[in-house]
Amino acid sequence: MTTTHHPDAGTDPRATATTDSTRTPGGAPQVRPSSHPRRPRPGTIARYIALVVMLIVLAGPLLWQLSLSLKGPDDDLYRRPPQLIPSDPTLGNFADVIDRIPVLAFVANSFIVAAIVIGGNIVLATAAGFALARLRWKLRPVATAVFVAAMLVPLEAIIIAQFLLVRSMGLTDTLLGVALPMLVTPLNVLLMRNAFLGIPDEMEEAAVVDGANAWQRFWRICVPQVKGVISVVAIFAFVGSWNDFLWPLIILTSEQNYTLTVGLNYLRGTFYDDPRLIAAGTIIALIPILALFVAMQRYFMRGLEQGGIKG
Amino acid sequence: MTQKITRRTALTGTAATVTALGVSSCGIGGGSSESDPGSGEITGSIRFQTWNLKGEYEEYFTALIDAFTEENPGTEVEWIDQPAEGYQDSLSADAAAGNLPDVVDMGPEAAYSLASAGMLLDLAEADPALADQFMPSAWDAMTFSGLGGGTYGFPWYLNTGPSFFNTALFEEAGLDPQALPETYEELFEQAAAMAEISDASMIGRLPAIETFGTYGVQLMNEDETAFTFNEPRGVELLEHYVDLYQGQGFTEESLNALQTGELDSFKAGELGWLPGSSYTMQELRDTAPDVYESVAVAPAITDVAPNMYIESLTVSAQSENQSTALAFAAFVSNPENQMEFAKQAAVFPSTAGALEDEYFTEDDGTDDGAIRVQSAAQVKEAVAWWPPAFSGESSAEFLREQIAQAVLGQTTPQEALDAAVDYADQRIETRS
Amino acid sequence: MPRRAADRRRRSRHWARSPWFVPLLFSGGALAVVLVMTIFPFFNTLALSFTDATMLRDGRFIGLDNFRELLSDARFGTALLNSTLYVVVVVPLIVLLPLILATLVAGDGKLLGFFRTAYYVPVVMSAVVVGLIWTNLLERRGLINETLQWLQVLTEPIPFLTDRWLLLFAAMFVTVWMGLGYYMVIYLAALASIDPSLYDAAAMDGAGVVRTFMAVTMPGVRNTMMLVAMFSSVAAFRVFGEVYVLTDGTGGPGGGVVTMTMLIQREGTGLQARTGYAGAISLVMFVVLAVLLMLQIIVQNREGRKA
Repeated sequence: MTTTHHPDAGTDPRATATTDSTRTPGGAPQVRPSSHPRRPRPGTIARYIALVVMLIVLAGPLLWQLSLSLKGPDDDLYRRPPQLIPSDPTLGNFADVIDRIPVLAFVANSFIVAAIVIGGNIVLATAAGFALARLRWKLRPVATAVFVAAMLVPLEAIIIAQFLLVRSMGLTDTLLGVALPMLVTPLNVLLMRNAFLGIPDEMEEAAVVDGANAWQRFWRICVPQVKGVISVVAIFAFVGSWNDFLWPLIILTSEQNYTLTVGLNYLRGTFYDDPRLIAAGTIIALIPILALFVAMQRYFMRGLEQGGIKG
Repeated sequence: MTQKITRRTALTGTAATVTALGVSSCGIGGGSSESDPGSGEITGSIRFQTWNLKGEYEEYFTALIDAFTEENPGTEVEWIDQPAEGYQDSLSADAAAGNLPDVVDMGPEAAYSLASAGMLLDLAEADPALADQFMPSAWDAMTFSGLGGGTYGFPWYLNTGPSFFNTALFEEAGLDPQALPETYEELFEQAAAMAEISDASMIGRLPAIETFGTYGVQLMNEDETAFTFNEPRGVELLEHYVDLYQGQGFTEESLNALQTGELDSFKAGELGWLPGSSYTMQELRDTAPDVYESVAVAPAITDVAPNMYIESLTVSAQSENQSTALAFAAFVSNPENQMEFAKQAAVFPSTAGALEDEYFTEDDGTDDGAIRVQSAAQVKEAVAWWPPAFSGESSAEFLREQIAQAVLGQTTPQEALDAAVDYADQRIETRS
Repeated sequence: MPRRAADRRRRSRHWARSPWFVPLLFSGGALAVVLVMTIFPFFNTLALSFTDATMLRDGRFIGLDNFRELLSDARFGTALLNSTLYVVVVVPLIVLLPLILATLVAGDGKLLGFFRTAYYVPVVMSAVVVGLIWTNLLERRGLINETLQWLQVLTEPIPFLTDRWLLLFAAMFVTVWMGLGYYMVIYLAALASIDPSLYDAAAMDGAGVVRTFMAVTMPGVRNTMMLVAMFSSVAAFRVFGEVYVLTDGTGGPGGGVVTMTMLIQREGTGLQARTGYAGAISLVMFVVLAVLLMLQIIVQNREGRKA
């Protein structure tokens, strides 16, 4: 959808070089003794009330979409006030979607693109993040600046130039061409850089003393510490590629290559739209993302805990 | 359906493959047969691009292409159907890459831009006799005086529609649902009356460039090189809206409503008047059954001639198989094929005399039939008011914003229109 | 300051050992993709900004004319103001609120997992639906106005979607709404890297929720907060979708809520696009963002020194 939250944002090479508290060896919490007696840990009723309120505010609207997708021909979609419970519920809209467009083929294409994009981002952003955070080289400030600058580029202004470029590579109407501009995003590189900066130097020093080379330090010491952030990168890459619309639209011409977002556009009527059908289509598109999120969250939840870092 | 087209085309499509005369030298002779304007060799493969028609009319186009390739052995038509959204973006990427499909479905504004850059074939030059095969108003809509008077697209389907009124709101406001407005004067009068009595509004959108046309404003100068809709009549139209707004005749929300917003308000029962199209009735029935109950239909509101929209089939100037592309575009837009499409899609054919068909003149007693007949009569008088040189989205947006500022009292109507004319004029200059 | 110098000495001692090409092996792939796919096309766009090029025509060199036109374009001033306000209001909220949310949902258990997933929903919902929902809630006869009037809090509806400033705030609200889940994920990963013993210590000291948050959580994710501030500044300055969906695809009544990206999109896409002019807007936007980030860096460094 909107690019607003998949920003190519910038960062300052120096600001993030300051230490996270985790890097302070044996960092004692800076809490003053309190006169309060023992307090219960979070998990109180108040916390759950807050959680439920946020649930309604954040996920409630999904019910709306779900409701729209379940409304039948006798439901007036424009009634005020809007009705949440369909009066003529049906699964027919989902059947219609599957009937009208080859959803499975589109999903398969989207998965191929997503796989390339996720793979590219994990490998390239992790490696580059490591180089920017933990290797010392002359061009490092320049390289960092390149990634920061790339974040500031308004994509709307370069999309045609990108198209001409990909065309000159002969990659129009291919899934690789769709994946190419997103193969690694500056945001993910800087996220990884930040993650690597958070690893205490002491961990690496031990390895250096043992004569480990850069690759060994990367693979054995550092990567296990940032698994959580890598899974975040994977999710961002997936969501970004899964929801991308304009780029695949421009670059793909044959229907058998369409990704899901482009293909779902066929649900738009030629002369007018049926909002029920569109809602059903978007629900279908939502499922893989949420499934991936459910599967991945245990990784970014644990992260360092499993890596067994001790201050 | 496949059968129908094949049989029909077998009757009209005579001697498709005549000797080659070299199409590139604008030698497209004959023209006696609608399906065969090309005298170059009709062979080889072409790409044909439509805009969001696959979903509902796949069978029609598959059969159409089969019929054409059967009739013209050695030809191949690759059909690309672009999805609804982003059509302009996809067209401009292809155009920037010099890779337009051979035959492309587009409206007059897109055709104007591409033609101004020399990317489309001038059909009038290619075959002067073509003009007679189409309704003059449709042919004129694709003829661009500002570009030297060439015609850059086969007129394809047309659309227009009556006014739709929500009679429940008329009754609520004490207005007579039997005396629905038909002129702008009546519309503004009743809108003011409705505003005084009820919460609902008559009008849900600011005037667009085509509204100025139907109000009788001179939109461009004679040779179509400059815009003139800031003339007194234009200012007068705008003043009506200013007055109406001050009398709470329409909501602030309408100030930035597009067609979809206007439609949604009508569907929600908040709006008295909707300038519709031929498929609006069906849409109301499908998605807003409540409003559908109380809807009434009347001729489109106009002080000169009603508005229509036109879709055309253009032929790329860079096409490698130009004669095939021309032949195919002519084939798709020939009377039989247009008629069939019009019946399926509830639009109107642009070929000469097609609207005399009894399908368009005789009311079969259904709602849809009545609207069809009424709209068909309207198409005959209609003009495609939107000037093709009025460049797409950005000029329309700028105009709407200027009008909104005038309505809100931030500028005067004259200043607003002057600014909009300036903006649109600049756009013409940058392309010639 | 002294500590940083010590840091640097320590690093150089060990890190100097890699051969010169090793960093390039690590970063070359990402650099190549970004240079070729983003930086290079952007140079093209920048070159166009000194010409009168359109989508279908190569332009002539016209010097600074586009920039001069920009200065006299009333929409440009509006867009610059709107985008800047967006940054000022949205960024502090986006830095703080998702962090609080993340601390609420961090932890094991299926129930928390459910909440986390649910909170991520707005991030992945389609723009069309987001627009539909929020306009239904915010419009003149929308749910919020109807409810407030029914409760007799209001006599007149609040013009959320038509008043220029309210509309801007409504869009900001939607931005924060969508950003909560997005940045929550980044914070969750960062929270996981805080040494759990710090929390135990805080609990033993009897620190309350708020104090634990201030004394353990915030310092623990300080770098991440800075990163989020930068990401969200860029995103906020470039805001497009939220305003777009709340205004039915327009810039609001009279164009009052038009943003920089909307302007670029309007002038720079479509067959009639003036790519030269759009390039000029892009260049200005790039420079403003660069300045914005530099200011942030200066402020953060100063704070870092104080801390």
